[in-house]
Order: sequence, then structure tokens, then C-alpha cells
Amino acid sequence: MTGTSPLYEVRGVGKRYGGIVALDSVDFALNAGEVVGLVGDNGAGKSTLVKVLSGAHEPDSGEIYLDGERRVWKSPHDALDAGVETLYQDSGIAPDLTVAANVFLGREILRQGFLGKLGFLDEKAMRDQAHSELERVGIAVPASDRPVARLSGGQRQAVAIGRAVAWANKVIILDEPTNHLGARQAGEVLEVIRQARAKGFGVIFISHTLPHVLEVTDRIVVLRLGRVVTDAPSSQFTPDSLLKAITGLSQT
Amino acid sequence: MEMQGKLARLKAAGMRQDIVLLLLFCLMVLAFSLVNPRFFSIRAMANILQDFSPVVLMAIGQTFVIASRGIDLSVGSVLGLAGVSMALVIRAANEAGMDPWLAIALGLAVAIGVGVVVGLVNGLLITYCRLVPFVATLATMGAAAGLSLVLTGGTQIAGAPKEVILLGNATYLGALTVPVIVVFLIIVVSWAFMSRARFGRWTYAVGSNPFAARGAGIDVESHLIKLYLLSGVLAALAGAFVYFRLGSGSPLSGRGGELNAIAATVIGGVSLLGGTGKLSGVVIGALITTAVLSGLILIGVQPNWQQIVVAALIAIAVGAQGLGAKGGR
Ligand SMILES: Nc1ncnc2c1ncn2[C@@H]1O[C@H](COP(=O)(O)OP(=O)(O)O)[C@@H](O)[C@H]1O
Ligand SMILES: [Mg+2]
Repeated sequence: MTGTSPLYEVRGVGKRYGGIVALDSVDFALNAGEVVGLVGDNGAGKSTLVKVLSGAHEPDSGEIYLDGERRVWKSPHDALDAGVETLYQDSGIAPDLTVAANVFLGREILRQGFLGKLGFLDEKAMRDQAHSELERVGIAVPASDRPVARLSGGQRQAVAIGRAVAWANKVIILDEPTNHLGARQAGEVLEVIRQARAKGFGVIFISHTLPHVLEVTDRIVVLRLGRVVTDAPSSQFTPDSLLKAITGLSQT
Repeated sequence: MEMQGKLARLKAAGMRQDIVLLLLFCLMVLAFSLVNPRFFSIRAMANILQDFSPVVLMAIGQTFVIASRGIDLSVGSVLGLAGVSMALVIRAANEAGMDPWLAIALGLAVAIGVGVVVGLVNGLLITYCRLVPFVATLATMGAAAGLSLVLTGGTQIAGAPKEVILLGNATYLGALTVPVIVVFLIIVVSWAFMSRARFGRWTYAVGSNPFAARGAGIDVESHLIKLYLLSGVLAALAGAFVYFRLGSGSPLSGRGGELNAIAATVIGGVSLLGGTGKLSGVVIGALITTAVLSGLILIGVQPNWQQIVVAALIAIAVGAQGLGAKGGR
């Protein structure tokens, strides 16, 4: 890390879907040990920016820098390899797989020796480690052989968040992780985010629940119709002024 | 405590499904044997195993693609096309005086090549051209069936050396032919990879939630292409084994094969919604489907009724799954 450049940064990112301009020359930066809130109305472009940051979509224009180095993500695989973990809105997990299978999806632990070369799985190692990894990042879910679909909505979401946090080594992107969660579970998610910050990760937190955003973030970036309209420390916002920045009824 | 109870119940339900399927199969064998005692002879069993081979091969491929939330309607046509291509090549090689075993090897390579090509086309249509699997494989189903007719002029291709019949029909240990032994090996290997290896894990993940799979860094497109390729190759192998058995290739031999394969798969408990289903169940599903087909003939039902019965089986199995899944998904 150079110290002068941000941990993760995009410059001049544009993305169109047919005639719709989802992102229009967006600049966005994230420092290590920082939680940035990304807010905006429905359709503002938050999820699109997430997909650019996570390598799921290639932007039409603009550049991506990790640790000050220019990067091009050809697929989510590239970004994951570089230490950028993402929890996508509403599509974080495979409901028919078990907790351990989800935590290790795409990074399965293989057996030793010849069978491992053929792709045979070390289920026991994954089961044991999934449980301890989730515990380490502050998430308690029953270790079980049940498909995740049989867990409660909150537990399911906890697995998805835990998976992202457990694997990250630089950047964690969470797209509406507290959606559909009760107050206590949402509080647990915010605590997981704080712990991740304390460990020096950069965290991008997307949410419509403005009190959560104000509570957990250091800085807030407001998107409107694909453009960044505000980028300021969280302390400068009140719930009222943040809402106004989002809706555009009056600028902060 | 409550969770433990639920888990136990779930496990019991999972066990029950396999056991129910096996019991169903045994009951059917018993019923058919009562109507026609010949059904319960070694000879009849050997016949059933020979009939079972193409069905289970296509059903294994079908399981791969259905578990990934797809479907492969082309398997029956691939069986036919592989069979006639092979028959033509072997006949020509035989007439040119080639060593019969060499001719058989050449024919087998051609048959597998047919499966590779059709499977690859399916996979590319689905991933790069973004056709839904139903449409993509319906198109190749028609094309492969048409090509079989063009190549043969609609007639059966005979002219196989006697080694072909020998390979397809000589039995060992009473009821096992070489193709049947190979089929058993394929069953074991497929089961292991589907239930114990990353291959199966990724297949179920793609079928359960393709977005999550992609987000987890899995190359969903190449995995899907691999699955359709395997389905094509397994169907082609089924075509080769049918040819070994009969010593001739007919452009009509795969007709309705996709129905049998899908029946075996859904009877075996694979959900058409993707993400679930065990290969062990599918193997029993293939046994049941085969026993129904053979049993119907043995008890004197007109062969023309077969497709209707299989279609009904599919409807019943999918309906039963829907009832079972309530409250689950
Ligand atoms: N896959 C897509 N195809 C077409 N339009 C899309 C797609 N994804 C997003 N959009 C459009 O891009 C804009 C931004 O969407 P999105 O990034 O999902 O916003 P947000 O997450 O802030 O609600 C919206 O107008 C949306 O309709
Ligand atoms: Mg969104």
C-alpha cells in the first residue's frame, strides 16, 4: 500500500444498459479501515456500481485501481482473487446447498492426493472450518447439513455476509445486507461491519435504512440517476439532510 | 431440541424416498412376474439390463443438466444419430476389408464425436447465444433426427461384422454383457463425481442460484458447456451400445428416448427447478422406467402405448414432487 492512494478506487466509470445510463462518469474511492455508505434512490445505480467494483460487469468507460494499481476485472473471479469480496443484493447464496458448501463455494477444500486432483471434496474440513470462520467474524449460525433454504431469512443472510467477510482480505462490498432483517439481526450485521473496519478492511455499505448508514459509516456517497451528487464525512449529515441529498429536493 | 427433531425427520424423509423407490421397483417386478412368470427369469433380467443401459446413460446426462436448471431434449436423437453414423462407418470399413475390431474402434470414435459435437452446440447455444435450454436442445433434437434420416435415407443400416454382435451380446456371470459392465462403471463414477466432488457441487450451485455461483467465482458458462457435452457423449454411448446389441443402426432407434430419460430423472427425485436430486435415485428411476417398458410388453400391452405410459409417469412424478416440496422451498 502506498499510503497516498486510496485502497480501492474507480475514476470516470460509465455504464449503460441499452438506452439507460446506469452510471455516468462516477468517481468513487475507499480507504483501508474505512466504511463508506453508498446511498441513493431505487435506480440510482448503486447495484450497478457494485457489479463494476466486484467484476461482475465490465464498465463501458473508466478505470479501476486497487492499491493504486490499475486493474481490469474480466470476471468476479479476478476481483475475488485480488481480495475484493461482494455480497450481491438478493443473490448471495445457493439455497439448495448447505452452510459449509455456501461458505466454500468456488473455493472448495479438496482431499489430499489423487482424489483431490480429481476434484473430490474434503467435506469434513469444510464443515469444521465453515463453522469456525463464521464464528471468527462474529456470526452464529447452526452448523448443519441442511440446505440453507431451511434456515430463517436472517440466518440465511448471516451466512451470506459471513462468507463475504470471512474471505475478504482487502475490500468488502455489502449491497443491502440488512434488508429483510429484524432490528436485532441488523444490529449484528452493523457490529460485523465495525469489526471488519477495525481489522483494516475497506467496507462499502449499501442500505436504504438511513439510521444504519449514519450509525456505521465514516463517509457517505450519494448517487442520483447514475451520478455522484454528494461525497462527505458522515458527521456532516443529519437524517434530514441525508434524505434531502438522496431525493434532490435540496442540496447539502 | 426442536431443530434436532426436524433434522431427524428430514433425514428420515430423505431415506424414505430411496426406499420407497426401491420398494416400488420390487413391487412392479413382483406384479409383472405374477402376470407373466417369464419376467422373473435370468433371461428376462438380462434383457432388462440391456434395455436399462441406454435409459440410464441418457438419464445420467439428463440429471447433470436438469440439476443445473436446464434440460436436454436432444438425447434421443443423438442416440439415433450416433448409432447410424457408427453403423455407416463400420459397414464401410468392413467392406473395405479393415480389421473388424479396428473398424469398431473407429465407429465408436465417430459415435462419441457425434455426441461431442451436438453437446457442444447445445452448450454454446445456451451460454453464448443465450437460448433457453428447452429451445436450444429442441432445435438440435430436430436437426440430429433429420440428419439421421438424410444419412440413411430412412432405412436401417446393417452389414456389421459378427464381432459387433459378439461385443454387444456375449454374457458373463449369467446376465452381464460388456456394455452393461461399462454402464455400471459409468454409474459409479458419475455418482461419485456428482455426490462427492467439486463437479457435482458446482452443478447444484449453478442450478440453485446461477448468480451466486458466478459471484463465487465459478465460471458458470464453461461448467454448463461441460454438462451438455457430457450429456451428448453419454447419449452417443447409449447409441453405440444399442448398435452393438442389434448389429444395425436405425434412424428411428432414439425416438422418444428423451421422454424415457426425463421420466427416469424425475421419478428419481430430481427437481426440474434445478439445484437438487441424487444420482442414486435416478438409477432406480431408470430401473423403474425400464421395468415398466419391458413389463408392458411382457404382459401383452401394445408397444404403441409405451410413450403414453412414460408421459403419464413423468406427470405423476413431477406432481408428487410438487406435493413433497410444499413448505420446503
Ligand atoms: N441488467 C439490467 N438491464 C437493464 N437495465 C438495468 C439493469 N440493471 C440495472 N438497470 C437499470 O440501471 C439503473 C440503475 O439500477 P441499479 O444499479 O439496480 O440501481 P439501485 O441499485 O441504486 O437501485 C436503473 O434504471 C435500472 O433500471
Ligand atoms: Mg440495488
